[in-house]
Parts: sequence; C-alpha cells; structure tokens
Amino acid sequence: MAQFNEQSGELAVKIVYYGPALSGKTTNLQALYQKMDPKVRGRLMTLDTKDDRTLFFDMMPVFFKTAGGLKVKIKLYTVPGQVMHESTRRIVLQGSDAVAFVADSRKSEAAPTLAYWKDMVRNLEANGLDPRALPLVIQKNKMDLDGIRDDEFADLARSPKVPVIPAKAIQGEGVLETLGALLSLCYRDLDQALGLAKRFSLSEKEFLGSVFSRVEAR
Amino acid sequence: MKVQQSVLLQATPLGDLLDLRSFTEVCHSFAELYRIGVKVFDDAGNKLVDVKIGNADFCGYLWQTADGRSQCMATVQRVKTEPLPDEPVPSTVHCFAGCRYAIQPVLYEGDVIGRIVFGPFVPDDLVALPEAITRLSPELDEKLAASYMNKIRRVPQATAEKVLKHFAEILDVLVFTGHKNLLTARLHIEAVQESYREVQEKNRQLEGAYQALKELDRLKSNFLATMSHELRTPLTSVIGYSEMMLEGLGGPLTAEQREYLQIIMDKGESLLGLITSILDISKIEAGRVKLVVSDVDVNSLMRDAVATVTPHARKKGLRVAWQPSKLPAVQCDREKVRQALINLVSNAVKFTPSGGSVTVDARSDGDDRVAISVTDTGIGIAPQNVGRVFEVFFQVDGSTTREFGGAGLGLAIVKSYVEAHAGTVKVASTPGVGTTFVLSLPVMASGPAALAVRASPTAAAG
Repeated sequence: MAQFNEQSGELAVKIVYYGPALSGKTTNLQALYQKMDPKVRGRLMTLDTKDDRTLFFDMMPVFFKTAGGLKVKIKLYTVPGQVMHESTRRIVLQGSDAVAFVADSRKSEAAPTLAYWKDMVRNLEANGLDPRALPLVIQKNKMDLDGIRDDEFADLARSPKVPVIPAKAIQGEGVLETLGALLSLCYRDLDQALGLAKRFSLSEKEFLGSVFSRVEAR
Repeated sequence: MKVQQSVLLQATPLGDLLDLRSFTEVCHSFAELYRIGVKVFDDAGNKLVDVKIGNADFCGYLWQTADGRSQCMATVQRVKTEPLPDEPVPSTVHCFAGCRYAIQPVLYEGDVIGRIVFGPFVPDDLVALPEAITRLSPELDEKLAASYMNKIRRVPQATAEKVLKHFAEILDVLVFTGHKNLLTARLHIEAVQESYREVQEKNRQLEGAYQALKELDRLKSNFLATMSHELRTPLTSVIGYSEMMLEGLGGPLTAEQREYLQIIMDKGESLLGLITSILDISKIEAGRVKLVVSDVDVNSLMRDAVATVTPHARKKGLRVAWQPSKLPAVQCDREKVRQALINLVSNAVKFTPSGGSVTVDARSDGDDRVAISVTDTGIGIAPQNVGRVFEVFFQVDGSTTREFGGAGLGLAIVKSYVEAHAGTVKVASTPGVGTTFVLSLPVMASGPAALAVRASPTAAAG
C-alpha cells in the first residue's frame, strides 16, 4: 500500500516496470523522461555498476501538488531483467503499488515472458503483495518487429483480466498509454483506500492530468 | 519468506547524501570567492556546514551588549526555522543590524530536505547604520561599528540571490550523485543479503530432505535385518524336513519323489544364501558386525571356498583349481574372509560359461600382506562398470530378464569385510576374456576397523 502521511498530506506511490531482460523497461522510462514536463519529474537515475550488472535498474521520480493541497510523489522503477538478479528484483518490487509488465511480444519470446510472469508473481507474494489484487497492466512491446504473437497473453492467466497495451517503446509509442492505464487503476485503488476524491477532492482526471501536464505540447 | 525493508523505501537525510568534509571544502571556496558566509542545514535543523567570512568583528561587537546578543540569537533562529516554500525560490531574513540573509530550500524529488543560507551580507542600498544599533547601548562606538560593518561584503540583493541559485544547482548535482552512490552501495549489500538468505533457506530445505532420507535408509536397514531373520527361520525347517525325507526318515521314496525333494532342497539352500547375504549387508549398514580374529591358514580358506562351489561348477562343466602355497597364517576373522572368498569364487563360477576355468591362488604381497586372487575366463566386465561392481544392489545387467541371477550384494559384502580387515579388493577385467579379483590382507591384524558399505547414492536409492 502507498505510503501516506496524513499530517503532511503527502502521498508516495511506487510503480515498478517488470519484465524479462531486453524487453524494453528502461526504454519506457527514457521515453517518459523525454516526454514529461521537467517541472513534474526529477532526474532519471540509472544504477549500473559497469563491471558486474548486479544492480541494473532505473528510477525516476514524478511529483506534483494537487489543487486540494495533497503532495503526490510517484516513483517509477525498473527491475534488472537478467535471470541472475532475482534478489534485486525482489528488493525493487518491495512495497510497490502498481506493476507494468513489459513483454517482448514476439512469438519467440513467449517462453521467457511466461517464466518472468511467474517469477513476478512469486516475488510479489514474497513481498506480501497479492498479484490478483495489485493494479497491473501488460505492455505488448516491440510491436514494430516481425513475428508478433496474435493473442493477448492468454497464458499469463489472472483474474480479473489485465489490460494489455500495445507499444513500440523505442519510438515512444504506447509508453504514455501504459503509464496512464496503470495510474488510472492505481488511482481507483488509492481512492478506495484513502478516499482521494472525498477527502482531498482529487479526481482521477486531475491525478492523471498532473502527471501528463503539458505532455501533448512537447 | 519475508524480505527485509529496502533502502529504496526509506527517506535519507541530507547529511547522508553528502560527503560533509569535501562538501565543506566546496563551501569554503565558494565563500572565499563571493566573500559571503554559507550555512547548510538539513530539514531537521541540524547544521551541516557553517562557513563565516567577514562578519566576525561586527557581530562580535554587537554581541557584547545584552540586547544585541538576544536580537542576534533571534535572527539566527529565524534563519534556521523560517518556513520555506517547496519551490526553488529564495527568501530573505533581515537582521536587526541591517544585514541580510538569503535562504533557499534544498529540494530533492519534490521534497524540502534542507536549506542553504547565504549571509550575512550588507545590501548595497543600506546607507547608514540602522537606528537599532545605536539604541543597543550608549557606550557603543558608532564609528567602530561602521568600520566593522565595512568588512562585510556589500552586495545587491539580486546578486546574492543569483549566487545562491547557482550554489543550489551545484548542491542539487551533489545530492543526486550522493543519492545514487548511496543506493548503489546499499543495494549491493541488500542484494547480497537477499541472495544469502535465499541460499540459506534452500540449504535448510536440503538439510531437511537429507535427514528424511537418512531416516528412511535406517528404517530400510532395520526392515531388511528383521525380515531376513524372520524368513530364515521357516526356511530352515523347509530345508531340514526335506533333508529328513531324503534320508528316508519318512519312509521309502520313489526316484521321482527324491528328485523333486532334491530340487526343493537346492532351491531352499540358494534362497537361504540370498537371505543370509541380505542379513549380512544390513548388519554391515547398521554397523552391527564385529570381527573375531584368529590365526587362519590361507590354504584352508582356498580349499574350503573351492570345495563349496565344486559341485555347481562340475554341473556347469567348469574347471576349478587352487594352488597350495607356503604362506604364513593370517590374523583375521575366519568366517568373514571365508565368506568373502566364497562370494568371489561363486561369482566367478556364475559368470563363466561352460568349458571355462576358475583359478584360485595366493602369494605374498610385500612383506606384511597376503594376496589371494580369483581368476576366471568368464564374460568379463565392461570398463564403465568396473568401478561400480562393489556398490550395494549394483548389477551390470539390471534388467528383469537378465541371464544371471543374484541380488547384487555379494561383492559389496566382500568389499566391506575385506576393508574391515584393513585390506583391499581390486578387480581387473577384459570383456569376453575374463576377470581377476585380488584380495589383499595384512598378515597381522591392526585392531578393529570400521565396517561400512560404501553405497553410492544411486545404489542406495535403488
């Protein structure tokens, strides 16, 4: 659950981009960094330790104040995709409020995609998070390549149905849509738990609008 | 499985994001350059850096008066606690003595994590000493105070704010870099701890599985020992009564009846042999075998072993021979070594086709050992199996339709018994040509040795 400080009126939300190595998680964050208004986002921090890629993940903060006076801080993370970084993935996933599963949608990648999905479910559970209740979207990435699977990830079974969003992250397509869909689910979750609309007169429209302010103009 | 809370979820105070020693150096050089003092506080009001320049005489002079002291302290308090907006804009605190402080929040990821204080400086629009100073004390020398004030940098407010903004931008980079380094270092440790925890968990599971297997193995040995004993008792009666009938104790028999009885007895004997070896191996595995050592004549051992298999060998059309030797008596457990030798000779007979031969002989093996070898002209053992023939239950041909029977215990028993005497057993074989087993035993017993069956994991599982 998001960290919420009633006294200071601060809400901290954690969003994690999960997926196999080279599925485009960092590309997503880079595209968001490019597209978002510098006023609402911080620097994109990339932790890589050059010699060994033990810790290879990215982090970008997004922050804004609502008209109702609520201070919202959304932190976007990617997990290291390499198989060996299992423990780092688990650490990054800790306390997350929503997860975007970035999948390489080529047919040839179906097996690793399924394996990482299961890996994610396992790691969510290890962190005490319920994979069936957590806001989740699947990004059907790399649609610009050949050999794209024609299903909507039927093998990643889960109920209720997870939104699948097509994307070409490398061209910046579908990146905002993915974050938008995720934030929308996330807002509804938080609204139910904290009463964002009632108590802080923060609507879903304002919540998303603040994150994506001036995006169209850029 | 619970993951401990990560540094990613914790707020970090400004002091932990900076290397304070080198940051203080940066502040010093900045203060030198602009001739304005620099202070940096974290969001809890802790002073991280305090560089004073030019104001010591002026402030010290005013501090001498009680009123000046209290007003000065009030100014310092305001500088430290004046509420700041969470935006990168400067605020100003006026000192009662006409000086000013420019203050800007240190922002990181939208949060105020501290403040930078520039000052005191004298605004360039201040023309005379403020009245507040002259009111402090009648003894205050205004000229002296003015000369002290001249040592403080006189600068337009806008310039001071510009410098402050510049400094804040530098600090922002330092904080970002510091945060990145901190996360890298702490996450490295967290990742290692997490992996370690994971490995430990797996180790615990493996240890549990291992203990369960060990317990199963012990139960199996117990079961075998008990069952062998229970099977032997009725079997002894079957053999005994067959023998009595053959001897005519139950009345005259027809030739056909005698033949049948003989078969019952033979099969009974071979079943008894099999059960005995299971009992032996389970005793060995349970560590319940003790050696009874005496002086034993090697020739008698060989004679005995050959005599035991001769009837069977004759039936198969094999020649079994042994060479008497003039070796000294060997200190060993007669029954165990005899059994070992019989197992080897029976094996030789079993795996040698009709027309072949089995030879047993003995010789000295160095000064203090005796080697007894059993050589056959049998089917031999393939090289990849040579190393495994001593394993419990191992059979070169493990199929149910195999040509040669047996439980796969004979050689394991040989090895255990021989090693219990601190001896060795070796095998050399050429498929299709024949096999030689060599037992080597020390002439003098060297005290009790542990009896153990070296069962491979696969053999134990089978």
